[in-house]
Amino acid sequence: MEAMVSPTQTTTVPLIEAHGLTKHYDGFSLEGVDLTVAEGEVVGFIGQNGAGKSTTIKALLGLFPIDGGEARVLGCPSKDLSRSAGAARKEEIGVVFDTVSLPEHLKIADVGRIYARAYRTWDARRFQRLTAAYGLDATKTVKGLSRGMGMKLSLACALSHQARLLILDEATAGLDPMARDEILDELRSFVAEPGHAILMSSHITSDLERIADRIVCIDAGRIVFDLPRDVITDEMGIARCRVADLERIADSGIIPEGALRYLRHDYGIDLLVPDRFAFAENFPQIPVDRMTIDDYMSLILKGGVR
Amino acid sequence: MKRAYLIEMTIFRDYGRQLMGLGLLVSLCIGVGMQTPLAMPATLTCMFFMMASMGLAAYDQLNHWELFRLTLPLSRRDVVLGRYAAIVTMGLMGTAVGIVAALIAMVAVSALDIGGEVGAAFAFSPDLLAPMLFTTFFCLLIGSVVASVVTPLYFRLGQTRATQILPTVIVLLFVVPVVILGNSGMLDGGIPGMELLSHALEALETPAGMAAGCALCAALAAAALGISAAISLKLYENREL
Repeated sequence: MEAMVSPTQTTTVPLIEAHGLTKHYDGFSLEGVDLTVAEGEVVGFIGQNGAGKSTTIKALLGLFPIDGGEARVLGCPSKDLSRSAGAARKEEIGVVFDTVSLPEHLKIADVGRIYARAYRTWDARRFQRLTAAYGLDATKTVKGLSRGMGMKLSLACALSHQARLLILDEATAGLDPMARDEILDELRSFVAEPGHAILMSSHITSDLERIADRIVCIDAGRIVFDLPRDVITDEMGIARCRVADLERIADSGIIPEGALRYLRHDYGIDLLVPDRFAFAENFPQIPVDRMTIDDYMSLILKGGVR
Repeated sequence: MKRAYLIEMTIFRDYGRQLMGLGLLVSLCIGVGMQTPLAMPATLTCMFFMMASMGLAAYDQLNHWELFRLTLPLSRRDVVLGRYAAIVTMGLMGTAVGIVAALIAMVAVSALDIGGEVGAAFAFSPDLLAPMLFTTFFCLLIGSVVASVVTPLYFRLGQTRATQILPTVIVLLFVVPVVILGNSGMLDGGIPGMELLSHALEALETPAGMAAGCALCAALAAAALGISAAISLKLYENREL
């Protein structure tokens, strides 16, 4: 698995930079997590439930002390973000967790007031515009919002204080496809601004296929791959083989030994193909589909190697 | 710290309003029950300190607010100091409500020309002001001490766990010592300095003594809250949320 880790080299100073992040809990550890998010990037952060996505995000935000490694967000050490030395840096960070994280008795107008008090750069007009666009009634309480509407509220807040960096933890969970489209459009506009970037954890990998520049996958507290999204979805393929095909492909040497990843099914074998166009030329009789992030993650996490 | 304080007050606003109405009612009941407006501001001062320290903490773990709050441009120090400032504000608002309730009661009794024991008890008298002031300051001290004990626990343990152990802590700190002292006979003259205490209580009957007593209560309350805030800062600094 570790052979698949190939952090993308960036030329600009990263907005998020983590090296060797380590945190031990009973029954779970983050083990040496490396993660960078550069200006102009949308980085999709994926992994199974309990893999360490939220823990990594919380470590980046300095919400708990880490046991090893170091992280910087917008140039500020993460450990300082909750201290007087670095708290002001959070003016430029918009954060959305997987549920609306505000006391439930608050009305939406109160939420606006709280953010206005918290952020010097709060843009009340933008907040009003976004909440109106998302169909959020200012007199409704947080408690009265559905999960999807709550996420819209959280996103409206994160997008209304002139943040440079958005850190979104399952922010599109619970949104209907139409709302996700709207949100993705907003996020695209956001990241198009100079100096902006997004780190976005999600189980909805179809969203990441539409917006992410890079995909980072974590499993059992370790980063298992870090690849440009294009490499996965535009170059790779998934060949639908029979057992005999697998042997033939292995013997052909088109896929280097030790890098042949496959996933057995009742009806055949799915094979990870690094270059689906070259593969199609060499094996025109074997159907090869475009790779999705889900397929790639399954092959990496559950597949065999030979 | 100012931002954290304003956020606390915004979150507490609705509950604070309810508390004001409730406080007014409780205060009037206490006044009527005790047949004197003397203790009305004092009771509410104490009650509001306690309710603010517990009520504000109650919102911390709703929807992971405690965790999310630290993603806002606030430091842990801001959060702690903002909480103490909000507790003091609410406690002093209790004092204000108690004074207003006492005035309302006295004016109402006078306006309605209520006679008898109630009329006599609630009749305005300048002599009432000094003891009312001292009892208020003394209860401010009690409320501050209770808030000073419970707030670090909330910051260290979180609302759920702290609420579970608070009754035990309150009993150990405030009830057990009184019971032990009461049963030991020490209060009957066995404690060194009891004579000094008697003199101090007598001095309260003079204007200067009263002023000094009020100032001492306020200073002790400030000291208790200050020490408590320092402990909370230390405890909250490294707490895993």
